[in-house]
Amino acid sequence: MKRGLIAATAVAGMLVSVAACGSGDSKTAGASDFKGKKLIVWVMDGSNPAQWTKQVSEDFKKKTGATVEFRIQQWNGIQQKLTTALSESSPPDVVEIGNTQTAAYAKAGALADLGDLKKEIGADWTDSFNKAAMADGKQYALPWYAGNRVVMYNKKIWAQAGIKELPKTRAELFKAFDTIKQKTEAEPLYLPGQNWYFFDGLTIGTGADLVKKEGSKWVSNLGDPKVSKAMDIYKQYQAFSTAPKNKDEATPQQAEIFSKGKTGAIIAMGYEGPTAVKANPAIKDDIGFFPIPGETADKPEGVFLGGSNLAVAGGGQNQELAKEFLKVALSKKNDAQMVKEVGWSPKSPDLASAAKGNPAAEAAAPGAAKSSGTTPLIPEWAQVENTPNPIKAYMTAVLNGKAPADAAKDVEGEINKRLAQKQ
Amino acid sequence: MNRSLLGRIWPNATAIVLALGFVFPVYWMFTTAFKPNSDIITEDPVWFPFHGTFEHFTTAVNAPNFWTLVGNSVTVTVLAVGLSLLIALCGSFAIARMRFKGRKGIILTFMVAQMAPWEVLVISVYMIVRDADMLNSLVPLTFFYMLMVLPFTLLTLRGYVAAVPKELEESAMVDGCTRRQAFVKIIFPLLAPGLMATSLFGFITAWNEFPLVLVLNKEPDKGTLPLWLSQFQSQFGDDWGATMAAASIFAVPILVLFLFLQRKAVSGLTAGAVKG
Amino acid sequence: MSVQIEDAVRDSAPRIGKGGAPPSRRGRKTGRAARSAPYLLLIPALAATAVFLGWPMVRNLIISFQNLNMKQLIQHLTEWRGFDNYAEILGGEQFWRVTLRTVVFTAVNVTLIMVLGVLIGLLLAKLGKKMRLTLSVALVLTWAMPAIAATTVFQWLFDARYGVVNWVLDALGWHSMARFDWVGSQLSTFFVITVLIVWQSLPFVALNLYAATTTIPKELYEAARMDGAGTWKVFTSVTFPFLKPFFLATTFLEVIWVFKAFPQIFAINEGGPDRLTETLPIYAFTEGVGNLHFGMGAAISLLTIVVLLAMTAYYLRLTLKQEEDEL
Repeated sequence: MKRGLIAATAVAGMLVSVAACGSGDSKTAGASDFKGKKLIVWVMDGSNPAQWTKQVSEDFKKKTGATVEFRIQQWNGIQQKLTTALSESSPPDVVEIGNTQTAAYAKAGALADLGDLKKEIGADWTDSFNKAAMADGKQYALPWYAGNRVVMYNKKIWAQAGIKELPKTRAELFKAFDTIKQKTEAEPLYLPGQNWYFFDGLTIGTGADLVKKEGSKWVSNLGDPKVSKAMDIYKQYQAFSTAPKNKDEATPQQAEIFSKGKTGAIIAMGYEGPTAVKANPAIKDDIGFFPIPGETADKPEGVFLGGSNLAVAGGGQNQELAKEFLKVALSKKNDAQMVKEVGWSPKSPDLASAAKGNPAAEAAAPGAAKSSGTTPLIPEWAQVENTPNPIKAYMTAVLNGKAPADAAKDVEGEINKRLAQKQ
Repeated sequence: MNRSLLGRIWPNATAIVLALGFVFPVYWMFTTAFKPNSDIITEDPVWFPFHGTFEHFTTAVNAPNFWTLVGNSVTVTVLAVGLSLLIALCGSFAIARMRFKGRKGIILTFMVAQMAPWEVLVISVYMIVRDADMLNSLVPLTFFYMLMVLPFTLLTLRGYVAAVPKELEESAMVDGCTRRQAFVKIIFPLLAPGLMATSLFGFITAWNEFPLVLVLNKEPDKGTLPLWLSQFQSQFGDDWGATMAAASIFAVPILVLFLFLQRKAVSGLTAGAVKG
Repeated sequence: MSVQIEDAVRDSAPRIGKGGAPPSRRGRKTGRAARSAPYLLLIPALAATAVFLGWPMVRNLIISFQNLNMKQLIQHLTEWRGFDNYAEILGGEQFWRVTLRTVVFTAVNVTLIMVLGVLIGLLLAKLGKKMRLTLSVALVLTWAMPAIAATTVFQWLFDARYGVVNWVLDALGWHSMARFDWVGSQLSTFFVITVLIVWQSLPFVALNLYAATTTIPKELYEAARMDGAGTWKVFTSVTFPFLKPFFLATTFLEVIWVFKAFPQIFAINEGGPDRLTETLPIYAFTEGVGNLHFGMGAAISLLTIVVLLAMTAYYLRLTLKQEEDEL
């Protein structure tokens, strides 16, 4: 609840689009049947950009004669709200669900099978996007958008420090932070201790698995040396920042801190650029982006591909119409609009050109293509991220000086309990 | 001489420090609502909103369905409090004035009812309302809010009714009033301040309620103000300015009510508590 | 108000006996009606309680024997678990640790609230008119501030980097507090929560105590003073005995309110760090609603009521005993 989920668009979770109001008697397809109906779609606050929404609404009306109502959902308490809504007799027709949560909702029997629709409209979608919309080999949702983190930096501060070339490796990046620290008044990096999706990216970079199978059960794998190694990298990053070790990047909002012009860089999603500009328009021309550099120059740092899927409520009254909506909302044209308007990573090769001209999207592209991953795609995982997220506790503990192995042991019980929870 | 001066100064000095301490968070809420964003998150606090702006209030009030939600909140709160006062008044009169079998059990029931864990009961309440096909309606909401405040109202009013001397009532009956008339003509007017007092508690409770309305009323135009208030804390970080502006707007009706009823309210609760 | 009541009583007192006739016993014909009257008057309250609280409680009890998660809720499935939920909770050490913590937390907060509240109430009585009004208004403003708004403000006042509290401590010369992380440890988080809860609760106690002291007959004080009693002695020999029912009732209410405090604790740090500031209601919510494990949550909530009943048993018994003596 609360805003625990914040951070990543990833968790973001759940967009349910609801086709509530229709009388729902007829389930046969055919444009004429849909005339005058209203489809209700739940999207999370901040998910649907204005132009995309307008475009989709018009296309949908033209194609089916029905109207769509986007209902913006607040983050506060969304889990209770969505879960209960899906249990009702006229649930929302279409819902947005965070890609890390989709498996859990699919497993709970809340979502309709969209296998045919995927074949029809999504043949060329990249696998890394699509696999987070599947559960048990079935397609329970369709990927809507996803993005990954990049370094968002203040060009003015970097110039002041005399840095000419953007870093290509982690060592170069740390050297640049050092230079900024010595030559300017600015804080080289603002990184709070609980930017958990950045950490998840680092574990993808070190090839670590957060869970492992023990017999038939999933258990925590946080004690693995590869996880410790990722945490150690995080700690090195965090040493450049005076940000609180027990907060995440949304409390306070890191883009607003960046906007004050006293921060060298933040690890951010592309959409955080506009947030900073909104807080302080003067910062606009100073903002730049580049991929988070990896160990070596040939491969960028591992990144978490966070995003959302669109799903059709299994108990919905207008499922055919909902599918028609998905065809429109996820068409090439409208997908391109999402990429262009927000800077999301392209879902298929065809969309790459739409990212051109959006610096954040361009900086994100190499990571998305070469080194992206997600959280463990098992239905039990969603529980682990519930507030209070034990991995965040682990991060804070290590940053406060605890040995990674000991900190892992401290939270293992909680993680295992959540993984083992009866479904 | 010195001592008496000190004796006069310290209570006043303490009172000033206390008053400042109590008021500061309230002050901070109101002033932040008027500060531009650049003055809100700062390493050195901006104590006075010299660069006042109304932009946060505009944001808050322009949120979709704001006025509908105001209407819903007022309706639900007023009805819930009114109903609970009515029901509690009848009940408290019986408990305070009459002797009957099962009286102790009933008092105990209401004392225990005050302990109900509503945050966790939400799911049971939800399932009941869902299965009765009453979601997205203000009716169940009103009744459940009524019950959240009923036990407290009833028990407090009981002490209050008990504080009205019996002789008064009896003399009225001597004058030819029936018991009901005695109640309406003599006791009720004496109770009015007590009713206001207890109603304050009810207003605050019903006005603030969030977890239940969140799951019961999902249609955007069927919600109440706490839902609106929570929307400025979002995934993209809190919009402190708008949150504070919204919180200020949200607090104003309660503040006005309190300042208006304060004296009566306070002493009313006392009467109840002293006797109870 | 009590004052006003007494005035009213005094005003209307002469009416008693105006007719000269002694109050007669109730007429015979009202006998049966009188006997059923209390029940009739109580029916609405009892019926409403049964329907809108009793029913959810029964439902909650039923759920506590079920395995009710996201899947069962969405698909309307019923899966019985017998006493497994209870066994799991009572068998684990977490429940006991949380219970102990809740009891200590409640005791500390209620003590602080009562002691400070009484002191402020007595201060109010001592102050001149203007200062009294000033302090009362401050208290009323605090009292009326919605909990949601108050918790948001406190969260921010105690922010490590942008919080006013750290800035002030630093400015006062305590420089190590400049970036102090209030919600980093169990104790400091509880400190913030306690400040918030005490701040919110004091006005109720202080204003009521002040109002209550005005109902104490002045003669009692004068007599005590004449015997040479000091401030403390006056309090223990006059104020406290006279207001004992008030103290008991207020303490009872504060125990319930502090014990049940939810938004305050949840907003400050969601029961963290490491679930170390979870009290029973937070624990029930996190396990039940937060983790979508409603059966567990229901079981914990019922155990929570048992704990609260145990904590208030003394007062409940006392009240019931008094009821026998009254009337």
